[in-house]
Amino acid sequence: MSDIISAENLSKSYGATKAVDGLNLHIRKGEFFGFLGPNGAGKTTTIRMLTGILKPDHGKIAIDGYPSENKQQIAKVIGVIPESRGFYEWMTAVEYLGFFAELYGIVGKEKEERISSLLTEVDLMKRRSSRIGTYSRGMRQRLGLARALINNPQVLFLDEPTLGLDPQGQEDIQLLLKKLNAKGVTIFLSSHLLNEVSNLCSRIGIINNGKLVAEGTVDELREKTKLGKDKTLTDIFLNLTRNNT
Amino acid sequence: MFTHIWKKEIRGALYTWKSMLWLVISSLLFSFTSYLLLTNKELSLLDQTELLWLLGKIIIGVALLIITIDASSVITTEFEKETAESLFLSPISLKDFIIGKLLASLTLWAAIFVVSIPYILVTSAGSHLALAFLEYVALLGTLGVVGLIFLIFGISLLYRSSKNTITTALIILLAFATPALFASNLKNDIVSQAFSRANPIDNIFSSLDNVLVDYKISLLENWQFLLPLVIFCLITFTFLFWSAKQFEKKGIIKND
Repeated sequence: MSDIISAENLSKSYGATKAVDGLNLHIRKGEFFGFLGPNGAGKTTTIRMLTGILKPDHGKIAIDGYPSENKQQIAKVIGVIPESRGFYEWMTAVEYLGFFAELYGIVGKEKEERISSLLTEVDLMKRRSSRIGTYSRGMRQRLGLARALINNPQVLFLDEPTLGLDPQGQEDIQLLLKKLNAKGVTIFLSSHLLNEVSNLCSRIGIINNGKLVAEGTVDELREKTKLGKDKTLTDIFLNLTRNNT
Repeated sequence: MFTHIWKKEIRGALYTWKSMLWLVISSLLFSFTSYLLLTNKELSLLDQTELLWLLGKIIIGVALLIITIDASSVITTEFEKETAESLFLSPISLKDFIIGKLLASLTLWAAIFVVSIPYILVTSAGSHLALAFLEYVALLGTLGVVGLIFLIFGISLLYRSSKNTITTALIILLAFATPALFASNLKNDIVSQAFSRANPIDNIFSSLDNVLVDYKISLLENWQFLLPLVIFCLITFTFLFWSAKQFEKKGIIKND
């Protein structure tokens, strides 16, 4: 299968600090890729560069074959839950999704149907006419996911999508992500919840100090770290990130 | 694409009552000024053309001040409320974003102008200047507002902070407005005259004076005031263009 996300020798510095250092990533169509790393390891910077929000200092990026310079074309094939989660608080969920749908050129009946189906999927149909300012954190997370899906993306970048959600909310989002992946959507998931990554992802990349220190399935990572079969992803993660700090 | 941004801004301004508040403030200021001009013993002794000139200065002055305050937060709010990232992840270009925001600020100017029309008509009742007065307030106000918005948007893209933008924009507005309020006999030296010739607010007031007091109504008779205003718009547009390039170079998320 061909790569839908490809990054070659990606680097980004903030002053003297190297946030990402020579990162190479190749993610195939339909994969559910987990991206792990300690705080400040470079996960969000990587996602921002892959999604075109941040310009890398060096390196090449291609999404679905489009080079990063082709930002508008890339925007049409990706959906993102970014780290910064601002909303137009005065809008209702319907107005908010409608605004973004129009930015993607989705109008009329198609727009209404898409909004209804997404609000049902994320369980916000009952509150569709309430102002976002009145939403709880969990509801905002779900609305953010609905916004990321408004253009039927082929690739979904998620930066901590279940952050702040209760276990029920987390499970709902995980089920939805599984369903989307089963439909062929490639998912790039950055999360601190190792159980979540372990349950959902077919392949995992671990970043530490801006470098990709390991990549593979959980079994491959276990083999690489020479840990026993009884060891969990948490053990693998700690082993890889502590050794490289 | 920019129409979606424009519509969003208008809806947001209406929902938060921000625009309504500006319009009420403008209306109150125009009412107070017109009332004073028509009823105050000393002021009502002024020639009608002088009254119109004073009202024209106040309408454009109030509009420039309101636009300065409002436009300073139009772009920066997207960064401060963390909505910029989601917005720029959609297929919107920076050009469409700026045009949409520009139209929203111009809509506020248009609304202030519409609010001022009854005051212009009442104050110019009985004279043949009502139409020329309206036309020149619209033309001079639009040139001044457009140039100012270009400048403020350029500053906004560099700072990405409402506080810094509004402070800088108000200082610039004050630097232009204060000398324009000086009497002409205080501008006798070469430096003052040169600054006065280049100052957009001075040119707006001088053109109004030319139209209302000296009855020079045609555009040709006002070219010496309109040309510096057009040049002001071109300079501020160049600044906005440069700021947009800097913004694109740094990326939506700043490196620092």
